[in-house]
Amino acid sequence: MSNIQSTERPHTEAPIEGKDPIVRFKNISKSFGDLQVLNGVDFDLYPGERVAIIGPSGSGKTTMARLLMTLEEPTDGFIEVDGRQLWHKEVNGNFKKADEKHLHEVRGDIGMVFQHFHLFPHMTVLKNLMEAPIKVKGMSKAKAREEALAMLEKVGMAGFADQYPARLSGGQQQRVAIARALVMHPKVMLFDEPTSALDPETVGEVLEVIKEIAKDREMAMLLITHEMSFARDIADRIAFFDEGKIQEEGPPSQLLNEPKTERLGEFLHRFGIDGKGHNV
Amino acid sequence: MIWDWQYAFEILPRLLKVAHVTITATLGAFVVAMILGLVLAFARRSTNRLLSGVTYFVVEFIRSTPPFVQLFFLFFVMPQFGITMGALMTGILGLGIHYSTFLSEVYRAGIDSVDKGQWEAATALNFTSRQKWVHIILPQAIRPIIPVMGNYLITLFKETPMLLGITVVEMLSQAQIIGSQSFRYTEPITMVGIFFLILSYGASLLVKRIELRMDINRR
Repeated sequence: MSNIQSTERPHTEAPIEGKDPIVRFKNISKSFGDLQVLNGVDFDLYPGERVAIIGPSGSGKTTMARLLMTLEEPTDGFIEVDGRQLWHKEVNGNFKKADEKHLHEVRGDIGMVFQHFHLFPHMTVLKNLMEAPIKVKGMSKAKAREEALAMLEKVGMAGFADQYPARLSGGQQQRVAIARALVMHPKVMLFDEPTSALDPETVGEVLEVIKEIAKDREMAMLLITHEMSFARDIADRIAFFDEGKIQEEGPPSQLLNEPKTERLGEFLHRFGIDGKGHNV
Repeated sequence: MIWDWQYAFEILPRLLKVAHVTITATLGAFVVAMILGLVLAFARRSTNRLLSGVTYFVVEFIRSTPPFVQLFFLFFVMPQFGITMGALMTGILGLGIHYSTFLSEVYRAGIDSVDKGQWEAATALNFTSRQKWVHIILPQAIRPIIPVMGNYLITLFKETPMLLGITVVEMLSQAQIIGSQSFRYTEPITMVGIFFLILSYGASLLVKRIELRMDINRR
């Protein structure tokens, strides 16, 4: 029996005091037809902060990331990114629905890593990383190449620059996808179950890379994950999602060791963690 | 002997003299079809219901009427409305428009075959709509439809003789003219057949090469 309290938490506490949130969800709801996926979510994420989102499948955690990445539009509520409205435009004190131009301006602060990587199959690994900096940010080819190679080095994929994604394992593809998101230097990085589609033997390498990035604290990270020990090791705060709402949030030690709600207790139990933070 | 070699060699230059008409008409019409087909595919996918609906109707209308009738209409009726074009130009446009409706459906299938995740990844990297199409979606959409497009190219090539209807003399009509002058049809018609065979087969080999070249699984 081991206590869930990890001794290897490598980071300092989240430097959030006195800062404005980089992302703010205000009373966000989302329905797909009759199905209400999010039900009035309020949530703040601070610069440099690392928050893990846990919860059962279908609880709305992925939808939250997708709303922030502008892949889905909220049914109700407001999202602020670095003090700017994401889905709305302020015109003479009134909020109007944002157009694509506005979304394009604001979403540059957000990056995302997907469960299924979604690398561009018709481009080499290097080209996958160079395309957006060149086309979206107007970076020179030489500079983009230099940055891309440095980022590949960082995720341990430097030797694969000229390969096509189809030749890589899932873990390798995901590491490239992480590098591809990183070269855009977003202020907020979303990880949507980054290891859920991987073979068990490649999960570790991807988690290591994410941990490595987390150390830098260059950006806020929102991690949607089912890897409880990983969430505990990496997160400053864990938010537990169920039935379209954040049911409980707090530092990992508190949330995993002393769940306040019965739901979270049950959820943790299913992952082999009992109500007192012990593995069972 | 039915086949007269000397006669065949005699008429060869006259046939080859119009070979460029067949080739120009085919390639010209196919370029028109590829470009217009893409425009139609986009219009059909538009979120504007009116544009999408009208495009659907136009595509179905053109697809369901014989190209010969369309050519005839373009060449003999349009001048009455003040629009006059050369016969070959009319042929290129007419066949191009007809085949664009087929290619637009092929494009649509290709575009639909691109994984939704590719759009999402492109959005996450903040590409503009135009950049998404040009750099991410279309390159992936075209690859699987190359064999089908190759088929349409060859079908179009074999239908160019219909341009005789609007006075364009290409190879097959030239063969008929030669035949009617000498009452020997076997040689010119056979030679044109072989010419079509060689070019069609050549084109299919070319398409195969392009297909292999773009197959990312072989790289």
